[in-house]
Order: sequence, then structure tokens, then C-alpha cells
Amino acid sequence: MTDRPQLDREEVRDLFARYGAATDEDDRVKLREQLVDQYIGLVEFLARRFRNRGEPLEDLVQVGTIGLLKAIERFDLDREVEFSTYATPTVVGELKRHFRDKGWAVRVPRRLQELHLELSKVVSELGQEIGRSPTVAEIADYTGQSEESVLEGLEIAQAYNFTSLDAPIDAENGTTSFADQLGSEDEHLENLEYRASLAPEMEKLPERERRILYLRFYRGLTQSEIADRLGISQMHVSRLLNRTLMHLREALEEE
Amino acid sequence: METVSIKIPAAPAYLQVVRLVAAGLAARLKFTLEDIEDLKIAVDELSAYLTGAQGRDGTLHVTFDVHDDRIEITGRGEFNSNYKIRTQLTELSQMILQTVVDNAQLSQADGIPSFSLVKSKGQ
Repeated sequence: MTDRPQLDREEVRDLFARYGAATDEDDRVKLREQLVDQYIGLVEFLARRFRNRGEPLEDLVQVGTIGLLKAIERFDLDREVEFSTYATPTVVGELKRHFRDKGWAVRVPRRLQELHLELSKVVSELGQEIGRSPTVAEIADYTGQSEESVLEGLEIAQAYNFTSLDAPIDAENGTTSFADQLGSEDEHLENLEYRASLAPEMEKLPERERRILYLRFYRGLTQSEIADRLGISQMHVSRLLNRTLMHLREALEEE
Repeated sequence: METVSIKIPAAPAYLQVVRLVAAGLAARLKFTLEDIEDLKIAVDELSAYLTGAQGRDGTLHVTFDVHDDRIEITGRGEFNSNYKIRTQLTELSQMILQTVVDNAQLSQADGIPSFSLVKSKGQ
């Protein structure tokens, strides 16, 4: 993990403005480096979504950085969108192209996408109806799918992680809607002693991920209970949880 | 009790297969979805110690003992070279495993690192 400098919004805008105005090539290189440093965390975050497809993470970060550079080049301050929002599709596009060029399937087959969406809905409907987490047999019954398809549909979310783009990667801009919803429990989070002893890496997690981790493992809430609290689906909680754990394991490895 | 056993290359990319088998067997026992998710988290958490993030040269041998009311899983890392493998669960891992399964262990005997876990069907 690189310790990325945390410039605030104004400082970043200023940096972009100076970059746009600079004519001296040496200046431009320096400013560009600062911008890359500022956003390399975003690239790492996105590159991680493409792990487990047989490419080392460092290579993916490198590919993603090409996307980042393109985005820096094209970014226009007048657009009034946050740079991270603007850059994300470019970085992801670069990563996808990388895999496509290698002839590897990165796309989730449409059938599985649909199955997954359907399951996500059914799981919460059924959960409401029977008052507990449903079994695979019950889901299969309800949807008319085979148990095997249900299992496949559930696993696919984890394998492809295709919804992670909606995660609050803009935490540094303070634009996460979840941070707004936190309210009083926020203070508990701040005061938790685990932060020192357990995993400094947890501090670097986006607010929502940290909160899910905390509710699940420190408070012992079930995934459905967490889903209710956060107003997202249980399967979404499951995905975020899995991704966060994966991230923590990796961070551990890099120690 | 019935036993299912699989051998996979000791690489993270293959853990999906282990998760699917675990989920499939747990579904047979009528585990709820959340229990299945918990089981998968535990499998991932423990397997990660054996495969490492980059994978290792060798095999991960995973055995599933399926009882009427619980599933017991053991994994053995059969590697072709000597890796220095952490056999002490981190505090965070312990915390996670305590929440998701009944019992989980990491150990090493005769140079072979292994894990075991037990997950019972919820009430």
C-alpha cells in the first residue's frame, strides 16, 4: 500500500489548474506525478477488482495507471465532476481492454448477470416472508431454478465482483452518501480499540466497508440485519464483506 | 458421514471451486444462505494462509466430511518447495472465524500446513 498524499478538494483543483496552464515540460511532468500520486489509490482499488484472473496485481496497477494518465490528460475542470468519478470508467476501460486483448473473458455472461439480479431480489423477498435467511432449496423452489443454478448465481457475484463500482471510492471528497447516514454509531467506530491492536489496514477502508466489518464481526449482526440497517440487499452486504476481507488478507500479505 | 475430497492447484484463483463445493454440500444439508456465506468466508480466510496471495507451487487438498447436522472441512497444503507459512491466525482472522464458524484451526505437522473448520447447521 502506498501512502498517498491526501490533498483536499481545493488543492486538487488547484493542481489540475496548474497542470493545465503549465507549458514547461519539466513542470508538467512534476505536476503529473503529483496527480498520479494523489489517485494511485483509486487505481489500486479498481485493479484489485480484476484480481484472481491470473495477472499479478502490480501489472494490473500498471495497466490501470495508463488509464489514469489518459484521464488526467483529458480532464477538464469546467466539467464540474470529481476527477475520481471522471477517471474511473477510463481506468476500468483500460483494464478491461487489457484482458480483452489477451482474449480472456472479463464480461459476465448475460445469463448469469440476470440470474444474479433475480436472486438478489428473491433472497430479500423470501427472507421477509419466512423471517430468516432462506435455504438454497427454498430459493430454487421459489424461482423455479435448479439448486445448481442458484449456487452458481450466488458464487458469481464473488468471482466477478461486478457491482463494486458503486462503492464509496470518493471518500476523500466527502461525497459518500453512507457517511451521511452514519449518525451516532460513528462515534463508536471512532473510539474502537481494535483500530490500534487489530488491523491498521481497517482504518484505510471506506467508511461503509469498515462499518459492515464492525457490525458483522464485532457486533455479531447477521448479514440481513446489516442489510436492513444500511438499506442495501443482503447479497450486496455479502459482496462488500467478501471484498473487504480479500483486501485485508492482501494487505496482510504485503506487510 | 460422507466424505468428499478435492485437490486443486494451490492458487487463489482455484478457491472458487472449493467455495462452490462447500456451498453445494452445505445446501444439501439445508444450511441457510447466510450460513453458506459464512462457510465460504471461513474457507477463504483459512485457505488464504495456505495459498498466499500469489499461490504456491503444489496442491491444496481439501476434504469435506458431511455429517447430518454439520460439515467439517480440512485443507492440507502439499507443496513442492519449502514455504515459510504463517501457522498462527492473526487476531483479525480469529475474530472473523469465531463469528462465522463453530471452530477453526491452523496447524502444521511434518512440514505440512493445514487447516480445519467445523460449521454446524443453525437452529
